[in-house]
Amino acid sequence: MKKLGKIWNYLSKPEVVPRIFSIFIALIFVFGLLMPHYLNPDQLYPKPVPHSQTLKTPLAPYDRGGVPLKVPAKLKSQYPQYEPDLGMITAYLTPVANWIKDKTYYFGTTIVSTPGGILDEILYYTRGMDTVLESSILLISFIIFSWMFFNKD
Amino acid sequence: MISSIIGQLFGIVPFGDIVFGFSEFSIIGFVVALIFTIVVYLTKPEKQLEAQKFRVEDKLEVVSLEELKIRRMMAIVCGIATAGAMLTYDLFDYALFLTLVGIANIGIVSAVKKDWVLNASYQYGLIAMIATLPLFGSAGMILAKTGTLSLFELPKIPTSLLFEKIIFAAGMAGETGIAPFYASKAEMFRAPGSPYILMIHLSSLLLIVRTVEILLTI
Repeated sequence: MKKLGKIWNYLSKPEVVPRIFSIFIALIFVFGLLMPHYLNPDQLYPKPVPHSQTLKTPLAPYDRGGVPLKVPAKLKSQYPQYEPDLGMITAYLTPVANWIKDKTYYFGTTIVSTPGGILDEILYYTRGMDTVLESSILLISFIIFSWMFFNKD
Repeated sequence: MISSIIGQLFGIVPFGDIVFGFSEFSIIGFVVALIFTIVVYLTKPEKQLEAQKFRVEDKLEVVSLEELKIRRMMAIVCGIATAGAMLTYDLFDYALFLTLVGIANIGIVSAVKKDWVLNASYQYGLIAMIATLPLFGSAGMILAKTGTLSLFELPKIPTSLLFEKIIFAAGMAGETGIAPFYASKAEMFRAPGSPYILMIHLSSLLLIVRTVEILLTI
């Protein structure tokens, strides 16, 4: 009984709790090595086979086809009935991005491709709420940090 | 089995693939979270009278206006995030709401100028950060195993998700700070300023109930 009391006392200190939690998580993950894991081929957000597009199209890993506002790109969705404009703007490129695209085959992997280059509909349309939440988590942590920074005594 | 837990579905709000559903189960949690958010907005914080060791006079602990503003804002963010977590019917979205509630909980106590409260909330922040690994890992593995994340579609797919459920529960345990990992959160509760501290407690309770519902349905 005395030993049990010592364990409870040890657990009551806030600074040991992260340690205990990490050990707990590590033990669970060891258990995970013994479980069978497999991939369902019928994926909702599919990825092309690696290197299947390299040197064939300048948008290499992200080419989904389509013409902006005319022909929808090849995209899968859980509820297509709620997304009437699915894939309409995926192929949109800014003029700068268009110019770079004509020069190189590696455009899809450059930094230019991300903001306003290839608009990823998975991020901004089908799973838009996730993006909103992710940025609000970041915003809240910045609010906390800046409040503590400007109000330190 | 599924219908007996979530009850009748009254309506949905689709945001693309992420669908917010109003079922009998989620409406109760949503309304409770909203009522307490309004209570937190309207009430003034408590004042604590502390007895001093080896001194005659007592000390009055008052929450200053500056501190009140940021703590009230964080409590309201926490309440709205809890209300959203009650409604969402997408696993990854739910994990994100859990994380948002976790970081808002740290925000509620971050303005308190007391060493032990800040230390405890720092330790809780570490746990919350570690807990994101099993949470999002579980969501990712469920997507790989079943090919979908929607909680309406997952029960229809006959796949064993035992390990994924276990690590999701472990992530939830860290994020809400339940039983064996309670010490850091219990220290946070001792900070003055009652209605805001209440929001920490309520959000964890509602999220535990919602996680149990999700783990039983999928």
